[in-house]
Amino acid sequence: MGEEAREKKVVPTGAKVVAAVMIPAIAALNYAGGVVVEVLKLPLWGDTWATMLGTLISGFWVGAIGGFLYNIIMALTVWGLPAWVWGFCNILIALFTWVAIKMGWANIRKPVRLIPACLIFGFIYPIFCTILGVGLFGGGPSTKPLPAMVYAATLAATKNFWLANYVQNLSCEIPDKIASFIIALIIADRVPEKFKLMRR
Amino acid sequence: MVSNEPIVVYENFSYSYPTTPNALVDINLEIHRGEIFGVIGPNGAGKSTFCKSLNGLVPHFYGGTMKGRVLVDGMDTFEHTTAELSTKVGLVFQEPETQLSGLALTVEDEVGFGLSMLGFPAKLIRQRAREALEKVGLKGFERRSPFELSGGEQQRLAIATVLAMKPEIMVLDEPVALLDPIGKYEVLSVIKEIAAEGSTIVIAEHEIEELAYFADRILVLNEGRMVSLDNAKMVLSEVEKLKKIGVDPPSVTELAYLLEHDLGIKLEYPITLPEALKIFGELMEGR
Amino acid sequence: MSSLATSILRRSIAEVDTPMHRLDPRVKFLFFIWISVWAYIFLDYTLTAIFLITVLILTFIGKIFKKTVKAVSIIVVPWMAVGIPILSALFPWNKTLIYNVQLFGYNIPLYYEGLAWGIVWPLRIGVCLASAMFFLFTTEPVKLIALLFNFRMPFRFIYAVAGALQFTPILLDDLQTIIQAQRSRGLRTDVSLLKRLANYPVLIVPLTLSTLNKVQIRAIALESRGFSAPVTKTWPYDLSLKRRDYIFLAGIIATTIIFIYIYLVYGFSPINHLQFYIAAG
Repeated sequence: MGEEAREKKVVPTGAKVVAAVMIPAIAALNYAGGVVVEVLKLPLWGDTWATMLGTLISGFWVGAIGGFLYNIIMALTVWGLPAWVWGFCNILIALFTWVAIKMGWANIRKPVRLIPACLIFGFIYPIFCTILGVGLFGGGPSTKPLPAMVYAATLAATKNFWLANYVQNLSCEIPDKIASFIIALIIADRVPEKFKLMRR
Repeated sequence: MVSNEPIVVYENFSYSYPTTPNALVDINLEIHRGEIFGVIGPNGAGKSTFCKSLNGLVPHFYGGTMKGRVLVDGMDTFEHTTAELSTKVGLVFQEPETQLSGLALTVEDEVGFGLSMLGFPAKLIRQRAREALEKVGLKGFERRSPFELSGGEQQRLAIATVLAMKPEIMVLDEPVALLDPIGKYEVLSVIKEIAAEGSTIVIAEHEIEELAYFADRILVLNEGRMVSLDNAKMVLSEVEKLKKIGVDPPSVTELAYLLEHDLGIKLEYPITLPEALKIFGELMEGR
Repeated sequence: MSSLATSILRRSIAEVDTPMHRLDPRVKFLFFIWISVWAYIFLDYTLTAIFLITVLILTFIGKIFKKTVKAVSIIVVPWMAVGIPILSALFPWNKTLIYNVQLFGYNIPLYYEGLAWGIVWPLRIGVCLASAMFFLFTTEPVKLIALLFNFRMPFRFIYAVAGALQFTPILLDDLQTIIQAQRSRGLRTDVSLLKRLANYPVLIVPLTLSTLNKVQIRAIALESRGFSAPVTKTWPYDLSLKRRDYIFLAGIIATTIIFIYIYLVYGFSPINHLQFYIAAG
């Protein structure tokens, strides 16, 4: 009788299953983000926000794998095989988000603290994008009007192919990553505690 | 039909989620083989937690703290994983589409999914899947996509998924809450058929009117605690007690209660329409 | 593009049967990787165009021609439309003049190198995309999962990958519902940028919260069906190579030999003689 009266603390086992379901959900949410951005005709990509969200609520691996999976799906259905390599960009985003969490830069209630994270997303991340973009896609202009104009202007002014690509990426990524980061933070803040418990 | 042999035993069972304390407190009861065991209570009473404690989701999936124990066909749920318990207890959830596997499978493959997860041989899976589909009235739907089905059909599919695993006990957590009237009717008919064959069923419901028709005993929960546990008629006749905790008894029962309390007419309380017809009919003829 | 993506991802169980459908998924997957890699080895728009046409022929046999053409055009056409003008004029390695355009009183010379660059890269992606669609859409989902089983991945991983293909269309449907609901509450897309930006959370937040809820429910449902059982999962679909698969594979091998020969003898741009400019500096 004494055995049963004692309170037992139980080790939760649900995290792995939740992660297995969460990962495709992150991929799908990234996709949905891209659709919303298109419907609202916003000059953003909007398709990496869920990678950040996944990292914020379920840890680096869920965010990274979910983000990578999104790129695989996009590669298979929209952008073609090489596009899967952008998956590494998504992993990078999960990494940067994780770093932001650890350094206390991911607190929506202290906006000033967000600045270092935004700088990383806005300026360091596009370096990788540029390398990939030139190597895999020829480094041509984007099909979005504003970045394409930026590309053409930089190319005409400096004749530097790499710089044109970098600046074009800046013009896309700075607004996109900052907006995505903020929305991910807002939602992570709103998520009920019990979901966060499934964090690895 | 209903034996007295207990197939589930709760011994001083209490459970707290990591974020919600006292989800269930001091649950002591037995569920008998072949019984239709209803669970009612207001929102947040612990009905879902109770259902999940039957197959080990509570406590294992969530963690938390617990006292006492739950024995399902002799197996202590603390000592066994949910996977191990899945051939003893089958759990059907409220949301028809969401509880499906999430892989784009045909109806037949969806039914066999649980057996695939447990590593059963392919031939046996196909056979059990076909049997289960026929039992829930979805014969002919094998090659369809689950997403083309109506809510009622999807819920029957979920029941088939559980049936294929041939559990001792089927647990249903508010299975018809999200269905339209036709879906409700279809699903409840299937449940009643399964019940009539002698299976042990635990069903948590808001549709008390329906439960009154086929439940043997009913457990009333409020704030994680047991309020009543008795045969259906006794429990549902305690109109005041039920209303106080926010549960509506069947309309005919409430009518009888009001007749007694407001008009002083003494009578037996019916809990189903046929009973009501008989009791009220006699009453009126007596006048 | 999103409705196209939805129709791409939402597939009812294939009732179609074509020679392409009957090929083993492993063969089709190999083909997809193989031709995508070759499209990148050769920097030659004529050759790449031939690749693309070949893949499109296969999709025609597989009765997914319209879908594939639509998807490929949506990517390739705008890309070329923007890239060709800008690169013909501004590509840093432009040398060979082809045309002088008079615009607003300015004389803008257009060069061949930029033009070729602007054609070949979209075509390469077109080949990758068309071959991926060929693989994906002539294979039933259960066979795709059987393929993943073949790679001997742990089931949790297979689930995560396969689940994404299924989750996405459902999510997009939910999104449509939310969009319509918000439209009836006055959501407009013809307003200023700031207002549209403010609408972004209005659509995303409910979608995410409902999705996270679904994740929880599905996780416990899966667990209840033995998801975590430490046994070898059975998949009731087997893959086996038939004669037609071997013929297809033989074709791939033969073509590979021809390609290697062409590459060694004629270089990476056999027909158009382009240069890999970035490397050339």
